[in-house]
Amino acid sequence: MPLKLVTGNHAAGYALSAAAEANRGARGAACGIYPITPQTEIVEYVAKFPFTKTRVVPVESEHSAMAVSMGASLAGARAFTASSSNGIAYMVENIMVAGYYRLPIVMVAVNRTLGPPWNIWADQGDTLMLRDFPWLQFYCEDNQEVLDTTLLAFRLAEDRRILLPALVAMDAFILSHTQTGTSLPDQADVDRYVPELDLPHRMRHESPTTLGGLVWPDVAMSLRLEIDEAMERVDEVLGECRKAFIEQLGRDPGAAVQTFATEDAEQVLVVSGSIATTAREVVRRRREEGERLGLIKIKMFRPFPESAVREACRGAAKVAVLDRNYAAGIGGIFCQELRALFQGDRDGLVIQGYLTGLCGGDVTPAMIEDVIADLGGRVEAGKPVWMGMADGKGGNR
Amino acid sequence: MVEIRIHGRGGQGGVTLAKIIATSRFLLDQSVQAFGLYAAERSGAPLQAFCRYDDEPIANRNLIYEPDHVIVLDPTLVGPAITGGLKPGGWILINTQESPEAFAERYPLNRLATVDATSIARDNRLGTRSVPIVNTALAGAVGAMLGFELEEMQAALEHLGFTGPNTTAAALAYERLQRLETPLAGEATAPAEAPTGNGTTQARPTCARAGRGPSFVEGAGGGLPGIQTGQWATEQPRRQQYVPPCNHVCPAGNDVQGFLQALALDETDRALDILLRTTPFPAVCGRVCPAPCMESCNRIQLDETVNVRQLERWAGDRGRAVVEPLAIRSEHVAVVGSGPAGLSAAYHLARFGYDVTVYEAGPEIGGLLRTGIPEFRLPEEVLDREIGRVMGLGVQVVTRHPIDRRELLDLSRAYDAVLVATGLQELRSLRLGVGDTDAVVQGIDFLDQAHRNKVRVDGEDVIVVGGGNTAMDSVRSALRLGARSVRVVYRRSRHEMPAIREEVEEALEEGVPIEFLTQPVVLRPDGSDETGRRRYHLTCRRMELGDPDESGRRRPVEVEGSDFEIVCHRLILALGQSPDMSVFPEGTEVREGERLLGLLETPVYAVGDLATNEGTVAGAIGSGRRSAIQIHNALSGAHVEITEHAERRRDVDIWQDEVIRADAMRLHLFERLPSSEGTAAPPEARRSTFDEIHMGLTDPAEAKRCLSCGVCNECDLCVTYCPEGVLSRVGHDLVFDYAYCKGCGVCVTECPRNVILMSQL
Repeated sequence: MPLKLVTGNHAAGYALSAAAEANRGARGAACGIYPITPQTEIVEYVAKFPFTKTRVVPVESEHSAMAVSMGASLAGARAFTASSSNGIAYMVENIMVAGYYRLPIVMVAVNRTLGPPWNIWADQGDTLMLRDFPWLQFYCEDNQEVLDTTLLAFRLAEDRRILLPALVAMDAFILSHTQTGTSLPDQADVDRYVPELDLPHRMRHESPTTLGGLVWPDVAMSLRLEIDEAMERVDEVLGECRKAFIEQLGRDPGAAVQTFATEDAEQVLVVSGSIATTAREVVRRRREEGERLGLIKIKMFRPFPESAVREACRGAAKVAVLDRNYAAGIGGIFCQELRALFQGDRDGLVIQGYLTGLCGGDVTPAMIEDVIADLGGRVEAGKPVWMGMADGKGGNR
Repeated sequence: MVEIRIHGRGGQGGVTLAKIIATSRFLLDQSVQAFGLYAAERSGAPLQAFCRYDDEPIANRNLIYEPDHVIVLDPTLVGPAITGGLKPGGWILINTQESPEAFAERYPLNRLATVDATSIARDNRLGTRSVPIVNTALAGAVGAMLGFELEEMQAALEHLGFTGPNTTAAALAYERLQRLETPLAGEATAPAEAPTGNGTTQARPTCARAGRGPSFVEGAGGGLPGIQTGQWATEQPRRQQYVPPCNHVCPAGNDVQGFLQALALDETDRALDILLRTTPFPAVCGRVCPAPCMESCNRIQLDETVNVRQLERWAGDRGRAVVEPLAIRSEHVAVVGSGPAGLSAAYHLARFGYDVTVYEAGPEIGGLLRTGIPEFRLPEEVLDREIGRVMGLGVQVVTRHPIDRRELLDLSRAYDAVLVATGLQELRSLRLGVGDTDAVVQGIDFLDQAHRNKVRVDGEDVIVVGGGNTAMDSVRSALRLGARSVRVVYRRSRHEMPAIREEVEEALEEGVPIEFLTQPVVLRPDGSDETGRRRYHLTCRRMELGDPDESGRRRPVEVEGSDFEIVCHRLILALGQSPDMSVFPEGTEVREGERLLGLLETPVYAVGDLATNEGTVAGAIGSGRRSAIQIHNALSGAHVEITEHAERRRDVDIWQDEVIRADAMRLHLFERLPSSEGTAAPPEARRSTFDEIHMGLTDPAEAKRCLSCGVCNECDLCVTYCPEGVLSRVGHDLVFDYAYCKGCGVCVTECPRNVILMSQL
């Protein structure tokens, strides 16, 4: 398939639109949209798409955008939206509801720093704020992965074994506004890959029902367990979706966890999003110099791919986790996930957190070299290291 | 440790009762807990509250699953759920008027106590009448039941800030508590009703459930508990129907609201069909009825009355309906007189299936409809059409056949029933001191002559005496028959005129002067005028209004020295008529609806003006209908009701026999709309012709102004605004799903015509 030069936003916009169009033979599609930098191009793209059976509903806020998408989904339509940063913060109540309603809505999020101070650049804090919600979460490395993962997310989320909403994230500007060669599948291919949606609990006017009313604690808890079980099935269903993608579209959309040179690695870098590309290159160079370094890219954050991460770290003695996000009072969020994963399992494993590229800071090869140098000198893990700080508080400046 | 569970409804103060009990123990240095179990409570929702007390410190925070005692605040909650987990021998205290023995069979394992806390609370004005707060009274009852001192309970109340009536209520309940100490446990091995723990009540399961609930995806939203929110209701809406004022006042007994609502839906044929159930003469009444319905119309309080008369005319002129006998009967009925009362009676009797023969003294049937109402108000072809409807039912007519006393006896032998509807044949006159002169004529005769083209008054000055419709018809006919001048003399004022208001207005429009408060005294010949016609002087006297007479109108009193004279050629008397009773045996008392005695076995009834002296076409139609129904009931043993209300809707729960007044309507929910008058010929064009003045309405849209007072017309505002979605329209029926109706009352306040009533449960 020939490549086209598109931005991450347009890759996402195309994927959302093509997936929506693919449901034209069923109950169509709909989305509530509201613009916010750097995501606006996505909804602009969607709004201009010549759909057969899709309603694009411009609304007055992100909260309403998700509400429209939920309503559409409850009516059995394929539903989606896109947002970013403080827009997501404003949308939060309905994001949460969409999950507990078990609606397979796909949202593309462009990771942007939460204000204040006002800042439009890349930081995963906006979507990781949603880490405890019943949503699937994917962090993409490049525009192709954005496109492929968005298509895959529809198929995965809408699978009857899952029925959970999915979030596909990309770094602001680094992906959203950067044009790179990207393969855009034909509509016919998308039609084939994303089957028509038949939501089992959709609202039907002929049999009115109440969803989400008051239930006693035992029933409510049982429904939480149901979500947990759906999350448990994601690994298997994701594998099927990936396999089908490869078969039908001739390209690997990427596994939940992607490794580079971890087989015999003593030290491993754990990264997500666009940092992965830079970090992989640094690791490749250092391996050429004979160092037993490896790299783990965590693409799927929810559910957290425990076994794949554990397997990838099998031979390592030290792990550096590079987080482009910050949980106040504790440090990087991916780092906490790693520490929780290995606690009581491999207590000797050194898991050190590095805060890299927060609030849109550039993560350069030099910074990654500094991370590797810092990790190499450690015998035990400590407080998170703030990388790239001007006042010297952190490691490298 | 003692554990108590309280079953109540939201708003009754159950949680507070738990607090009061706990406080009474707390003040005695015991360890206590009081708490509620909260869910989706609203006022009236079943809820539970709990109280624990112990000499030792209480060390658990669970719900109470196996209470020592149970208290039931609301007698409607008495059911299996209240004994869930209750220890045998524990007390059950129920707020009820009944004695404990009434529950003994139901709860054989427990001690029982009852007290009417609701009455105590109401008597002491605690809460509202609909939701009395019974907790402080019950606190006293609990004290008596558990052997606490009243002072301990009152101390608890005081500690919690309850004073005055609450303290009184507690003391009264303490005193009035009835107890049944001995359970029937020896005779019964299990409770009569097994507690179910779950189910349709909102009661929490009696112990925590383990295991899986239904799926959110496959199980309708995660298996919402079957809370039938109708249980929360303390009031429920019921469908009611009132009598619309128009129906109530219609002398013919027409379902006015019914035919107007049919017209409002543009269903002219159905409107006519509704009218034909009560009257054979809608097109006639649509022209000549004084329409008391229009005076009583509630719409007057909003803007102006609905033009019912014109709408009845629309239905009568434009509607198509087939009238057929409802049965075939073998009895024969004679009707004497073919005016509106006689023909109405004949019509209804024929519909019941009787063989009816009408006897008419004159050459044509129709009575005063034909001879007494001029064509400019009631064209003959309209009358013929409607009479044709009566004849179409097979009614036989014998004309030129006056019935005297002897012949009435013959009829009563030959027929199974006889109706006499000869109207008002005796004409009132005036002694004017002049001998018999053809210059003085009765209005009725004048109109009859005019109808038969037997009279002209070209060039004459005509005076008409009277204030009724005959006076108006006479003076307006005289105008059309060539009179040089016309004038009405009436001894009372405009306000007292019995004529239809519109007819007075039309006469005035046509230039008829009316001398009010004027009484003719003497008529004297005054030679001849220039054309040789004999001329008269009429001496009149001015009157003033005194005290009301037996008719309720103010009595005219002569003003001394106010005489004046008017010149005229002709004096027409329209002073009213009275019944001619000579057809009946001496001493017969005539009352509508009562058969006349002394005429063999045959029922003989007097009908219409003869019986009622009521004087309108509509009244005569109504009398004829009522009499026909009475005869039918007498001959057939049927019990047909004489109704004057709207057709009873099938879905109505409560039949209100009273008339709904404007203040019971929600007039603010209606739009103000101007009424349609229909078109009429201009006064100058109609003075010289007997052509009908009114052309009627151009469409029936005027009917949409009908408010349908007190009768559901399926506007469905209630269905639209019901916040619970428990109201629906199934066919024509309004259906409440009481299982889920919380009794919020929005349907009541949104009903423009007050057909939904909240009733206490």
